[in-house]
Formats: sequence, structure tokens, C-alpha cells
Amino acid sequence: MPMEPWPRIGWRNLGRNRRRTVITAAGLAFGYFAIVLMNGLMGGMTAEMIENGTGFLMGQIQIHAADYLPQRSIYETIGGRDGADVKALIQTATADAAIEAAAPRVYAGGLVSSGASTSAAMLVGVDPDLEPGVSRIFRGVVKGRPPTSGANEILIGAEMARQLGVDVGDELVLVAPAADGSLGNDLYVVSGIFRSGIAELDGQFAMLPIGRLQALAALEPDRVHEIAAATADPWLASEAAQRLAGPISKLSDQAVVQPWTELRPEMMDYAQLAKSWSFVVIVIVFAIAIFGVANTMLLGTFERRREFAVIMAIGAAPGAVLRTVLYEGVALGAISLVFGVLITLPVLLWWHNAPPDLGWLYGDFTMFGALIRPVLRVEYDVASALWAGLALLLTALLAALVPAARAARLLPADTLSAD
Amino acid sequence: MTTAIGRAGFGLCLVLGGLNGLVASGKIEAQETPREIIDRVDRILRGESSHGLATMEVVTEHWQRSLTMEMWSLGTEYSLVRITAPRKEAGTATLKSGDDIWNYLPRVDRTIKIPASLMMGSWMGSHFTNDDLVKESRLVEDYEIEIGFEGVREGDDEVWEFVLTPKPEAAVVWSRIEFQVRKDDLMPTWARYYDDDGELVRILEYSDYREMGGRLVPAVMVMVPQDKPDERTSVRYSQLDFDIDIDEDFFSLRALQSGSD
Amino acid sequence: MNRARLMLRLALRNLRRQARRSLLTAAAMVIGGGLLIFSVSLGDGTHEDWIESGVRTGSGHIAIQAPGYLLSHKIEDRLSTETVAAARAALRSPGIAESVLEVVPKLTTGGLASSPTGARPVEVAGVNPVDEARFSTLDERAIEGRYLEPDDRLAAYVGAELAEGLELRLGSRMVLTAQDAEGEISGQLVRVVGIFQTGIPEVDQRIVHIPLRTAGEWLGAEGAVTTVAVLVDRSRVVRRTVRRLEAALAEPIADGRLAVLTWQEAMPELDAVVKVDDLGNYMFQGIMFGIIALAIVNTILMSVLYRHREFGVLQALGFTPGQTGALVMAEGVVLTVLSGLLGIGLGLLVTWFFWRDGLDISFTWQEDWTFSGVVLDPVIVPLFRTARVIQGLLFILFIGTLASFYPAYRATRIDVAEAMKFER
Repeated sequence: MPMEPWPRIGWRNLGRNRRRTVITAAGLAFGYFAIVLMNGLMGGMTAEMIENGTGFLMGQIQIHAADYLPQRSIYETIGGRDGADVKALIQTATADAAIEAAAPRVYAGGLVSSGASTSAAMLVGVDPDLEPGVSRIFRGVVKGRPPTSGANEILIGAEMARQLGVDVGDELVLVAPAADGSLGNDLYVVSGIFRSGIAELDGQFAMLPIGRLQALAALEPDRVHEIAAATADPWLASEAAQRLAGPISKLSDQAVVQPWTELRPEMMDYAQLAKSWSFVVIVIVFAIAIFGVANTMLLGTFERRREFAVIMAIGAAPGAVLRTVLYEGVALGAISLVFGVLITLPVLLWWHNAPPDLGWLYGDFTMFGALIRPVLRVEYDVASALWAGLALLLTALLAALVPAARAARLLPADTLSAD
Repeated sequence: MTTAIGRAGFGLCLVLGGLNGLVASGKIEAQETPREIIDRVDRILRGESSHGLATMEVVTEHWQRSLTMEMWSLGTEYSLVRITAPRKEAGTATLKSGDDIWNYLPRVDRTIKIPASLMMGSWMGSHFTNDDLVKESRLVEDYEIEIGFEGVREGDDEVWEFVLTPKPEAAVVWSRIEFQVRKDDLMPTWARYYDDDGELVRILEYSDYREMGGRLVPAVMVMVPQDKPDERTSVRYSQLDFDIDIDEDFFSLRALQSGSD
Repeated sequence: MNRARLMLRLALRNLRRQARRSLLTAAAMVIGGGLLIFSVSLGDGTHEDWIESGVRTGSGHIAIQAPGYLLSHKIEDRLSTETVAAARAALRSPGIAESVLEVVPKLTTGGLASSPTGARPVEVAGVNPVDEARFSTLDERAIEGRYLEPDDRLAAYVGAELAEGLELRLGSRMVLTAQDAEGEISGQLVRVVGIFQTGIPEVDQRIVHIPLRTAGEWLGAEGAVTTVAVLVDRSRVVRRTVRRLEAALAEPIADGRLAVLTWQEAMPELDAVVKVDDLGNYMFQGIMFGIIALAIVNTILMSVLYRHREFGVLQALGFTPGQTGALVMAEGVVLTVLSGLLGIGLGLLVTWFFWRDGLDISFTWQEDWTFSGVVLDPVIVPLFRTARVIQGLLFILFIGTLASFYPAYRATRIDVAEAMKFER
């Protein structure tokens, strides 16, 4: 089947004024670049927020007894009074492909006293070996080191240390109402001080080896309140939690598996708001770009008005001319897209791997109780890259409409007799 | 009554009192105001000072346990309780001095002052709060007292039922406490605590009246929270002595820590 | 001078001659300028709103506190009666008083609220009911009962979540327990006169307002306060006012008796959120104008190439290449500035006309949404600022100049002989 000549004519027309084509394509390509990069940045910020919010302490997935939240009663351990096979729970969790690590935790409210002063605290029992896989709390240690398994050592927040007037190496008394009704109390040595930038954590949280807190709170070793798990990508958490629900309930029928999206819905809201904004950005950027493209193409069709008139004079239908110009627009869009992808990719790769640190400008800050490093990090956002590509082609096509219609409406006789 | 309820409230210096044989029902004269009657009950039950041994049993949804303890009191300002069993907690002591509460923890050999944020916390896992202990000495100042009922209630005993309503500015949470006292021997039978909506929140019941330290006292007190009727804290006295030789130094922090008694 | 005027006239004529092309380029610029003003004024409006509700829920645009209070939040770090008087005097002094709208003393302490149902940790603020009602928006959030009134003594205004947790209703007894100025534990009875709901969990769970006098008596700190919150007429005068206050209060500051904090220092989270949002806006505007700049380069360059012959003639008639370049430059700058002005004017007009009372974006969220402890108002009222309009103009001028450089450069490189030879 002989090919229609119109696409080829459209394509060739682009080559006739290369400079113009390049400049127009550059505009569209830059628009594409800007959108992908900006959405990547927004995605980076959202990811940063989610990763910090979930990764600092909470983990992306948590397993609890059904009634544990929100009261956090010391009795509501996984599996109730009989406890659960903690090892099996952790193994089941980590067996899931999306889950990188899991760690058990025990919580107890209590008093921390340095003798001179006393403050109320949330005591968190963590497994010093497994915890670093799940949360970054130990990376927040600014002085000393995390507690060692089996030792009466405690890691406290910087503000708590200040209020109690203690430093690394000092002794603290912990008093906590235990699960058997007794008043658990013991001496601990401050092994380290952490700073998270989150007032609540720094002022009220203290971490100690899980076994030591279980002993203090009179909980057997197989009684834990929480299994926290980390996923490689926070967005995998929801599905992983669903997958885990079955196997986990076989181990402990009252246990529930919740992803961060359920535990911290406001973070989810923010992420969604940011996503919906990325579409607004696409629309606005290309709406402006449309004028540039339309302008160039108008100019191009105007320049070639005699040519179109000749084609029509020798028998081409106006529709054919219209298609030629539209093809030209689409071809321009395609070139721009290739160009855009070519300039976007390396920048994206570089930026993703070496994000510039804006700490000098902002300092660390917190949002939704999550510490955010002011690092302009870029995430790969495939969906937005595809959408932006589609929007680019659409823009080129839309921008070609007016010039195409104009070209198709030319009156050959008048045009040819003009000069 | 203050003592009765208050100590009842705390459950430790607890009804250290009983009735002195001298105080027969006939001695209460008709023209006495409710406050005077209660004051009298109070003085009799408390004595100048006291010393006793008791066992506290706590039953909750999650566990039950039993503690034995030795206790001392001086006036309304001072009291000291030292746990003697089980071994795990033996030596743990609570000192009340005025409005402050201190806990001595033998395991770590430290004394900790209970901060404001834990005043409503449970004392030794029981249904009494640290605050109950502090408020005990304040009941007389904090409440207006009226007789709500006088006559025969279930059984043959003639009783007074006092209604305590907090004074306008008293810093207490209860909006009403009812307190029943037997007329013939001035023995308390129960106290009921109500919230703002007039709903019963907890009941303290006295029983097993017997002579200890030369006075008739209720040897058993049981506290039942109404929202968890299966839970309770009961205190049983095995020995009580009154007006013993003891002074303020006994209730010092140093004495608390040294455990020298 | 004359030459410049000539250039301008030539440039204008050229633009007029290519009306359609000029219009298309101008359209991109007009839309860009309009969007710039729209987004900037809405962005500023949003931030002013955040700051406003933030400082009104918190410690004001300017907080005068004892130096340690920011970290400790304890009553030990309080301002004595004399220090408060000194601060008040400084706030009344000329140069400061003009921008000060409200001066609100508060005595805030952490403590415990208890009812027969239980006990919860709270933050109790002793406030002056009349001042506080003007200062804070909390009084407007009552869902039951009323805010505190001047004659109240044992009254408390509590959050809905606290009321639910403690089973409180209007008239309920509530006992507040906290460490007083002497370090002793002290209790205070109050009765609930009003219940509020802000939608911010931390506020609805934790905040209790009681009369300042009651708080002072209860905590044994009569006349003392922990914070003097100052509201100024707009957030921009904060730094200036703080500088003047620090000069006026140099002596107590040197003694370590007080510190003057801006809202940025007292509420770093809010500051960070505003800055980050601003950064996002700047980036967006930068990208938008980057594209506009390319469109302008494109149009002007096209017109340069298209008018090869014309420029050839001009140069043949004695125009130097520099003058030719200047002409192209002038065209570009005139086009961008005119259309930019039009865009800004249009943006101002449209924004003012349609949304001066606020743009309701509540349809994008499901429900009340809070952000770093500030309830976001779904109605954004744009804030117009001359400085922003001037910034926008300069920005557009910059973009126009930048975009004209390359075409102007091309124009200087025209070979006269070649240009004249070229026949269409």
C-alpha cells in the first residue's frame, strides 16, 4: 500500500527550518524536563517525609494485638497473656519479599529519675541487634552509643537528659508499673543520648534492651507489644501488610497488621495532595508552552503559505494540508520528547545520586512529627514522566490545530496572486 | 469520717482506728453537728499515732496479688508504709509527708518523689491512687457534711448516712461522697463515691469489726470500682496499735531511705 | 537619548507590524504574569494565614519569655511581675507601640487534669479572658458553652478530646494538678464552662484555658507570667519590632531575665513549612518563566531570521551591527515588559475580582486538615503586596532581557551583502 505523502511532508517541513525546530523543541523539552524534575523533587520531599516519619522509629508496618492501639495498655501483648512465638512472627514478616527487616518492641510508661529530678517517660524495649534494620533511632545517637543486649543500659533523648541533668555514664532509676501489678524498678546506666529533632521523642522516650524492659515490666520473653517491620519502599507497605495478615493471624489470631498509611493517615493525605498538585503543574506548564509552539508553527505555515496554495492548486484537499501540519506538530512533539528525555535522564540520575544539601539554608525541620533533612532529593516518578510525555504530545498537537486550520483554509488563487 | 474515707481512700494508714471503748453510742449527743460527729469518729479511728500490720489483696482483670505491709502514722500529715512480702517487693516503702509522696525502692536503694503527672497513678497496683493518700488528710477541709439519712437501714442497725459535698473551691474530683456509720458503735459500714452525673464510681465497704489495739475497728476494707465490678482491692488488718511513741523524725526521708526501723 | 527614543519607536513599530506573532508571544507572557501574581498573592495569603493562625494558637508574632522557657516549658522559667512591667513599658514606647496590636500575658504550665473517670496530661494556660479572646481564635471554636469571661474564677475552657476522655460536660468538676512555683504539687478545682474543637489533635487533647488570676493563685506565682505574647499588625514588621524591643529591654536581657523571640524562633516548625512552601513556589515560577523565556527567544529569533533582509537594508543604510542588535533587544524587552505589565495587571484584577474574599479549595480535601499544629483554612485569601508586584516586574524584565540576548546577537552577525542577495 503506497504511503500517504502527508506525514513525510510534515516531517520534512521540520527539517526545512532546523533552527526554529530546535528552539521550539527545546522549549517543549525543557517543559518536560522541568515537570519531571519538579515532580521528582516533590516526590522526593514526600518520600523524605514518609521515610523519616516512618523510618525514624515507627517502621512502615506494625503488628499489634487487636486492642493495643490506641490505649497502649501494657497487658495487650501480641497473643495476649500467653504471648506469641516472637521469632516465628519475625521470620514470617521478613519472609515477605517487600520486607527488609522486622524487630520486636515492648512499651511501658514509667518514671525516669536521676535522683535530683524525675520525669515521666515512655520506655521502649528494643532488640539492639534487630532494631537498626527497622528504624534509624540509633543513628540519632549524638553522644555515647546504643544500649547493649542484656545490659542495664538506656538510651535517652537529649531534652530528657537536659531535664534530668545526666550525661553518658550516669545512673538512672527506672520505675514502671509492671504487668503483674508490682512496681518494677531498677538501675540503668545512660549508654547514649539521641536527638531526633522531634520534641516528643527527645523529651519523653527512652530505649533499653527489650529483655531488660520485659524483666522490669514483669513480661515473659515471648510477650511483646509490637513487631515493627521496614519495607524497602514505603509505598509497598500497604500491599505487604495485606499479604502478611493471613500468615500472621495463623501465628496469633488476634494480631493485626497495619501499614503506615493506616497508622498515620495525615501523612498519606499529604502525599496525595502533593500528587494531585503534580498534575496541576503539568497542565499549567504545557498550557504556557502551547503558545510558544503555536507561535512557531503559525510562523512556519505563514512562511509556507504559497507552498500550501500550490499543493492545493494541484489538487490536494484542504484536509490533506490540515493533516500535514498536524503531522508536523506531532513530529515536533516526538522530537521534543526524545530531546526532553535525553536531557532529563542524566540530570535526574545525577541528582538522585548526589542530592544537594540545603541545610545551610533551612536547618533541619520537622513536619507531622517527622524530621526532614533539607536535602533536595529527587525521586524517580515514572507515572508523572509518562503523563508529562503524553501531555507534551498533546500540547504539540493542540498547538498545531490553529496553524493547520489556517493553512487548510487558504484560498490558493488569492495566496498565489498576493505578491 | 475524713480519716475513715480518706485513709480508706488510701487503704493503708487505713482504718487504723477503731472505736475506743469509751465512745459508746450514748456519748454522742443529739445536738452535735454532723461535722462534729465525723470529727469524733475520725479522732477515734486515727488516734494520735498508730502502727499496724495488714495484707492487701488486689484483683484486676489481668492479675491478682497479695502484699503484706507494716504501717505507721502520725496525725494527718505523716504516714509510712513498708512492704514486707512478697520478697520481690519487700522493703519498698511509701512516705507521705504533707502533700508529697516519696517511694523508696530497696532494689536500687533510691528514693523517688512522685511527680504531679503520676499523682493519679495507682499506688502499688491497687485501686487506690497516690492522690487518695494525699487527699486523705484534706477531707475535713474539702467537704461540707450533712446528714442525708438517719434511721434503720437493711438489718436492724440504726445508722447515719452522711452526705459529703465538696466545698466550692476544693480541688477534689468527686461531686458527692456518701458515708454510712452505725449509730450504736460509730463503725463505718461503707463509703460511696459519685461523679458529676450522680453516677456511682466506686464503693468502699468495711467489715469484720473486731477489737484491735484496744479499739473496735473494721478489720477489712474492700474497694470496688463500679466500671470494673470484677476488680477489687481489699485490705485486712492483722494487728493495730494506737498512740505509740513516735515522732516526726520517724517520717523523714533519711529514715525512709535507711529503713532503720 | 534621541537615539534611544528612535530605537523604541522602531521596536514598537516592528512589534505592531507583526501583530499576530507579537500577540501570541504576549499571550504566553500575559498568562505567565497573571499566574505569577495569582500564585504569589495566594501563596503569600496562605502563608500569612498559616502564620496568623500559628501565632494566634501559639505565642504570638513576638514572644517575650524567660530565656530557658522555650526548651523547658516549666514554670521555673517565668517572668517576674517587675520584668513583665518592664516588657509592657517597652511595648508602649514609641517606634514599637505603633505596630503592636495585642499584648497578651499567659501563665502556662504542664500538669494533670483529672476527673472521676481518670487523668490526662494537659497544658494549662492561665489567660486574661478579654485579651485572649481578641488574640486567639480558640474562643471562636467553642462547640459547647462559652469562652472564659472576665468575672470567671474557677472556669475552664477545654478541648473536645480531653472532655471526651475525662467524660466532662459543661459544669463538670475537673481538678488540675501541677508543680507550683515552689516546686510543690498543687491542685486546683475548675469547672468546665466551654468545650472547643479545633481539629488539631494535640490542641483538642491537651490545651486547657483558665483565668490568669486563678492560675497565678494556684501556682503561687501571682503577677508572674511565662510568656508575654505580642501580636503585630503584619508579619513583616516582626524583625524590626524585635530589634527595637531588644534595644529597649537591653538591661533585663543582659541579666538573663528575659528573651525576645520571633515566631520563627518560637515556632521553628511553622517557619520551616513556610520556607519550604515558598521554595516550591519559587521553583514553579522559575520553571514557568523558563518556558516563557524560551517562547520569547523563539519568537524574536524567528522574527530576526525572517527579517534578514530588513536588517540588511538597515545596516546598508548605516545602522551599525550594535544598533541592529539594540533594536532587536528593544523589541524583546518592550514586548515582555508590556505584556508582563498587562499580565500582572490582569492577574491582580482577576485575582482581586474573583477571589478577594478567598478562594475555597476545600473540595480538594476530605476534611479538616492540620499541618504542623495549624489548622489549614480551606479558604485562601490572597495577599497583595507592592514589593511582590515590583519583584514580579523585575523578574519579567530580567527574563525579557535574557531572552532577547541571543536573537540580538544573531542580528549583529548579519552579513549585509548576503542578506541583500537573498531573494524570497
